[in-house]
Amino acid sequence: MSRFLAAASAARTVEITALRRLRGGALQENWGLDARFSGGPLDGEQRLVLRTCAATGIAASLTRLQEFAVQTVVFRAGVTVPEPLFAGEDPDVWGKPFFIMRRAPGLAAPDRITGDRALDPVLPALAERLGRELALVHTIRPPRPDLGFLAAHTEAGPAQQIAGFRAYLDRHRIPHPVLEWGIRWLETHIPPPAELVLCHHDFRSGNYMLDGAALTAILDWEFAGWGDPHEDLGWFCCKAWRFARLDREAGGIADRTPFYRGYEKSSGKSIDPRRVRFWEVLASVRWAIVALQQSDRHMLDGERDLDLAMTGRRATECELELLMLLDAGGNFADV
Amino acid sequence: MSDLPSGAALLALARDVLLSELMPLLPAERHPDALLVARCMAIAQREAETAKTPEHELRGLYGAGTDTDEPLRRFARELRIGAFENSRDREVGARAILWRLTVAKLRRSNPEFLAANGFD
Repeated sequence: MSRFLAAASAARTVEITALRRLRGGALQENWGLDARFSGGPLDGEQRLVLRTCAATGIAASLTRLQEFAVQTVVFRAGVTVPEPLFAGEDPDVWGKPFFIMRRAPGLAAPDRITGDRALDPVLPALAERLGRELALVHTIRPPRPDLGFLAAHTEAGPAQQIAGFRAYLDRHRIPHPVLEWGIRWLETHIPPPAELVLCHHDFRSGNYMLDGAALTAILDWEFAGWGDPHEDLGWFCCKAWRFARLDREAGGIADRTPFYRGYEKSSGKSIDPRRVRFWEVLASVRWAIVALQQSDRHMLDGERDLDLAMTGRRATECELELLMLLDAGGNFADV
Repeated sequence: MSDLPSGAALLALARDVLLSELMPLLPAERHPDALLVARCMAIAQREAETAKTPEHELRGLYGAGTDTDEPLRRFARELRIGAFENSRDREVGARAILWRLTVAKLRRSNPEFLAANGFD
């Protein structure tokens, strides 16, 4: 790795002074890497992150080299992301493909961000800022030769996602009637096609970092792809990502008003609440499926991990949310 | 009949020992893991205490239940194709079952989430 970094950065030598696994990242491994560069544009001490794949994953995510390319594009567009520096896939360097980026200061801990009352006064402004950041991501539109690999992901509209959910449930060991019911609603309420933009596809509390009250990084671009901009808005507002504050519909940090205001002012486009609702319902189904897939990694793929094993149980939280979204005032008095 | 204390009672006691006696001995960075273990034990305890499975909710639709999950599979299949949508009463009835299945599962696996959403 030292030799790789030296060659990639035109340094005379690179000495790695610290390397430790960072917490978080269910699908990827992130390593904090401190290094002393001698010569070249990075000359001096550098705090970096090495990002590579976990032992097992789920199929929908980009490769690390593709994620590096996406992160490079959004960095150049001015989105607040850690500057991506180098990528490599020579197995002699790290054993599996990886990329290197600068390490942003701060914490992504969503329970703390949504639950720390000391942060409350700054959270509406954070929601507005995140709306602006998302609008900036959505300025990136196809065709983009530098994101040509995303062509394979253009067939990721709602109908294709619904087919994917059903195919997964057909293979799953336990029937899931609530998910089937929610998917049926989705199938019968698909909105007209939207103008495609680059979607983050996991834009939510837990995937951005704060240093104090300052936004320092939007993380985890592994699911990025072309899609309806409302898909990211619905995902951000989905109840699964409100953590300590289920009542604050914009990511547990604010109500929707500042988040939508930031997005609309920055993008110059109006948000259609009906489309957001569709994507929010889809978000609950999608997160339920991902949660089940996470526990599959433990039960089927042999990854011994209590956190992963437990994540499958969270699918039922999504099922309750589906009922609350689609059958508000429903017949549960005798439950 | 199993020996006493029951498995559920043993789990409850073991969880209490973990949280009150063992966790203070662990370094702070392992506390989240210990809490996760305690949560798993609480789920197992509640499931051990609940003899009734949610599938009994489907007897009204498909007749007397069996030990298999076929009634639940059939219910899922019928929901997929919208089989309840041609009758308002059947649709309302199906939704009521969905609510009961979901709340029953959460009572065992995550009662805190139920409470946070306004359910007793």
